[in-house]
Amino acid sequence: MKENYLAKWLNGDLSDEELKVFRESPEYKTYRKIAEVSTRLQGPEFDVEQALEQAKEGRRPSVGKVVALKAYRQLWKVAAAVVVLLGIGYFYVNSLETSIQAGLAQRSEVVLPDASEVILNAGSEVSYRDKSWENRRLVSLKGEAFFKVAKGQTFTVETDAGKVTVLGTQFNVLQRGDIFSVTCFEGRVRVDHQGTSLELAAGQGYQVAGGSFKTFEVAAGARPSWMEDESSFRSLPLSFILEELERQHSIRVETRGVDTGVLFTGTFSNTNLDLALKSISAPLQLGYTREGDKVLLYAQDTP
Amino acid sequence: MDNVCDDQIYSQLFRTHSKTVFNYIYYKFGNEEKARDAVQEAFVKLWENCARVTPEKAKSFVYTVANNLYLNVIKAEKVRLKHRPETGNTTRQDPEFLLEEREFKDKLEHALAGLPENQRTTFLLNRIDGKKYSEIAEMEGVSVKAIEKRMHLALKSLREQIDGI
Repeated sequence: MKENYLAKWLNGDLSDEELKVFRESPEYKTYRKIAEVSTRLQGPEFDVEQALEQAKEGRRPSVGKVVALKAYRQLWKVAAAVVVLLGIGYFYVNSLETSIQAGLAQRSEVVLPDASEVILNAGSEVSYRDKSWENRRLVSLKGEAFFKVAKGQTFTVETDAGKVTVLGTQFNVLQRGDIFSVTCFEGRVRVDHQGTSLELAAGQGYQVAGGSFKTFEVAAGARPSWMEDESSFRSLPLSFILEELERQHSIRVETRGVDTGVLFTGTFSNTNLDLALKSISAPLQLGYTREGDKVLLYAQDTP
Repeated sequence: MDNVCDDQIYSQLFRTHSKTVFNYIYYKFGNEEKARDAVQEAFVKLWENCARVTPEKAKSFVYTVANNLYLNVIKAEKVRLKHRPETGNTTRQDPEFLLEEREFKDKLEHALAGLPENQRTTFLLNRIDGKKYSEIAEMEGVSVKAIEKRMHLALKSLREQIDGI
């Protein structure tokens, strides 16, 4: 007899030959009876319409019937207290925030409950509620991060400046001070910022700095430069560039006679500090000295 | 497009699947109250998630919710089954037959109680609810082959019990 022949017999999957052999076996009679009688059984009554009414009222299932047994009165109170405590505990656990930080000159990778990935740039932090993720798909961000959203998932990234709602799959969010920048690399995201709402398609970016905003474009298939160990900027104040330099290289930068409000467009290395300093100082015609983790930038014409 | 948030679609899904959800949980645990609660829980959750769950996915959604509800939580009780009322033209009313049938049913019920939970559930879903092996496989989240195995083992142990081996 072939494997699981009893299941195949019930399903009418035995060949005539096999069926003949089976019918002649001494056990066959009982098997047939089991098969017959079992179809004439039924479970408890179930009133579909009544259950539907109840479901529509949205009532939560009862926690068992309350039976007024005197001996058990105390037990019910204890049980009720336990339920209340469990409830409080549940909400407490649900409200706990999971927080992940990337320190200076560091990067961190976070996997969200829906398997989306977040890569944090140096000196940044994300937090979210792990336990109640299903109900509250919200990620708070301080600093800069790249989001690679798992297929079909959605969530919102909240920053002090604005919100970014995931409609697509890969994007970068930066929010430090009065700078807020979102770049969409794949799919679409919606940006809500100070009452305006706009959608970014792949290859589009949106940047707010010093109160004015602009959109820009990036090459298709690109990734944020910081993920390639470089930091790139478009018309951002030098003060911000220097802060980023501090974060990436874990150094202190001081300036003398330098206008830190001047706008900088360019790139610096996140791995080689000397190279990075040259990249910043050369186009702005600044000089620099380096002493341990302290860097001084100065205007060339000041003595 | 069809949407579970549509009251008519929702009611239709409820009418199609609630009884099986109820039986499914009842066969597992033998607890009527818990089975009724599982139906409520599963369909209230379906409503709460109606925007996200398509009508095609609704079936496996409610089974999954119902199934997860009591995972490792409650102890199975004895599943009690009744005779389906004879329908229409069948007139096998002679007392001897009825007595024999009753005796056999008692033996079967006793033997069913001794089955592992997954074998009993599979067996009853197929026999009482007429579910195909592929449907049961989907509900239980296992392969059709695994369901065939359960079915085979269930029949084998039921037969051995009843024949007193």
